[in-house]
Amino acid sequence: MFNKIDPKKIFEDLTNTQVWRSMFRGGTWKNTSRDRAQHILGNVWLHLHPARIRRRAVKFTYTWGLGGLSFFLFLILTVTGIVLMFYYRPSPELAYRDMKDLEFVVSLGQFMRNMHRWSAHAMVLFVILHMVRVFLTGSYKTPREFNWGVGVVLLVLTLFLSFTGYLLPWDQLAIWAVTVGTNMASATPFVGAEGPFASLLGVGLKNDARFGLLGGTTVGSATLVRFYVLHCIAVPFITGIFLIIHFWRIRKDGFSAAPIENEPPQQKVEVWPNLIVREYIGAILMLIFLVGWSLLQNAPLEGIADPNVTPNPSKAPWYFLGLQELLVYFDPWLAGVVIPTIIMIGLMAIPYLDPDANRGVGFYSFKERPFANTVFLLGLFAWFVLIIIGTFMRGPNWQWYWPWESWLTHKPPPPPTTVMPLAVGGGLIGLYFTLGMVLPLLIKYQFNVPSTVKKILAGSILLALIIGVLPSFSFIKGAWVGFAVALYTIMGILLPSHYLKNISRVRYVVCMALLLMMIGVFLKVALHLGFNVKYIVSVPQVSFNI
Amino acid sequence: MSDTTEPSALNQPEITRRTFLFWGWGAFLAFLASSVGSVLRFFLPNVLYEPSQKFRAGKVLDYPLGVTIDKANRVWIIRDSKGLYGMWARCTHLGCTPNWFPAEARFRCPCHGSNFSAEGDVIAGPAPKPLWRVQVTQTPQGDLLVDKAVMENRPGFRDKAPFFINV
Repeated sequence: MFNKIDPKKIFEDLTNTQVWRSMFRGGTWKNTSRDRAQHILGNVWLHLHPARIRRRAVKFTYTWGLGGLSFFLFLILTVTGIVLMFYYRPSPELAYRDMKDLEFVVSLGQFMRNMHRWSAHAMVLFVILHMVRVFLTGSYKTPREFNWGVGVVLLVLTLFLSFTGYLLPWDQLAIWAVTVGTNMASATPFVGAEGPFASLLGVGLKNDARFGLLGGTTVGSATLVRFYVLHCIAVPFITGIFLIIHFWRIRKDGFSAAPIENEPPQQKVEVWPNLIVREYIGAILMLIFLVGWSLLQNAPLEGIADPNVTPNPSKAPWYFLGLQELLVYFDPWLAGVVIPTIIMIGLMAIPYLDPDANRGVGFYSFKERPFANTVFLLGLFAWFVLIIIGTFMRGPNWQWYWPWESWLTHKPPPPPTTVMPLAVGGGLIGLYFTLGMVLPLLIKYQFNVPSTVKKILAGSILLALIIGVLPSFSFIKGAWVGFAVALYTIMGILLPSHYLKNISRVRYVVCMALLLMMIGVFLKVALHLGFNVKYIVSVPQVSFNI
Repeated sequence: MSDTTEPSALNQPEITRRTFLFWGWGAFLAFLASSVGSVLRFFLPNVLYEPSQKFRAGKVLDYPLGVTIDKANRVWIIRDSKGLYGMWARCTHLGCTPNWFPAEARFRCPCHGSNFSAEGDVIAGPAPKPLWRVQVTQTPQGDLLVDKAVMENRPGFRDKAPFFINV
């Protein structure tokens, strides 16, 4: 009797029932081209894919699977987050104890928390890498401008999800991260009690942005519940909405790898199995890596939150250390609010500023997009330089220690800082922006860019040496001057003159304003590190300092 | 009498569809804006359950010269040759608690590296304002009464009562 069991026959009988057909469309699987397309179109999970895709887009080294992996990490975070919610109670008396319970009492508790934490770190990294990939392949260009903007919003939401998550363990890192973060909200111009111009609107300690975030004036139980709701419900909900828009637009604007002009028409390949298999292999490898990492490395948990003791040094997770380091050189309202906002707006503006919609779309090219790639990579490079400084060069009291120096070495405290007189500082900023706006337009001569860059660099090094040997200066100061001159002349004048001169005036002005602000951030950092300049412009009456 | 109309009223231009819609949409947008405003108001609590900012901190005469750290209330009580004042132990940059380094005679913040003198003035680092001094008063019994809700950081004002006690 057992000999008569035929698995294939049983499966066929099963898939031919009314119940099966009501759940899974398409009926019996025949492994034909039509069935493979049907599998994509008829499946709620896969229907955002097209049925067929360009051969080039399936190549791993084109997309690196970065967008898909970001979404997969979001799914892991959702699942592990829901699991953790079963044990976690958002109250200052219980929260830290629940973390300890997860660590020592709950089966798989530590593992779930590790998975959640490390997936969050990985998601931030992969969302950033995905943005870089999209930029370098020119994939944000028409008709994808809007979706690039949605992507920027998703990057910010990813960072905000991480930020709202770290109050929940109620440990030392948590309370100080949230104290600093919400104080930045308080430094927002107009809507923060300690920001510029707030007093003009009657905004004070008990009606400003920080008060709304904290649910009070200090980090307490009201704050914990607010961040719990933000982290578990509100921000994931908003992120979900933006993810839906993002995916829908990817599908509608044409899937990956737009055609290269004059390219012979490619034969398209079927998404099932070609792309799906790659996506699932990527997801499985990521899962294996995260499981291994979570087994080997525990998520950090510091001592219980104590508003009277600040860890020394107190460091944010790596993806916020760039911002933390930037805050050393600027007032909180600038570094914490204005600069991040301008970066976000500037990123979103890129596709609308880009004058040539067809140049360098759908493949990696430096030759076709030298200016866009240089500026974008310079900004990214600066972000990671700040992260590296914050991670490896900062010791107790946020003092500069080289990685090979012991934190026990006694260092003299930082020297006093100076504030430029208002007329001098204001004049410098005015001159900087005026020259940056006007000079690139006035230069009529057509450069050979590589040789001119070399000349400027050589000149800057010479200048640095000359200033370096002057009395009352040093080689360090000379190096900072040389750096500033080289950066401003190459990025602020030479390259704009070569690449931006012929775009429309509105685009030129917006582009140059954003570019000059970016260079300005570098120059302010240089002024602070090299010459101990605290403010270029300071109007303490309205808390306005640059 | 009642059915006669003022001649001038007849000359008034009638309400056109354009003006009607302008005011109609205007009113609708104003309604939307005020709704958003009132929902935002929902997030600002009317009642706080936070500890009082006012507390007793021992006898005035018991404080030694130098900086005394009161962790429970997050204040520093500082006594110099002339008298005594209190400072809120909160960095004016982004709100961390700085540490006192007696050898260097300065407060140093661990988060972004701000440095303050014992008077509360910024010596180095990014902090934009001096530390806040808090109101200190002496009861007839000689107790020190601190109120963190009343603050001052301007030189000239912070060195006088009620932010300074001559001892």
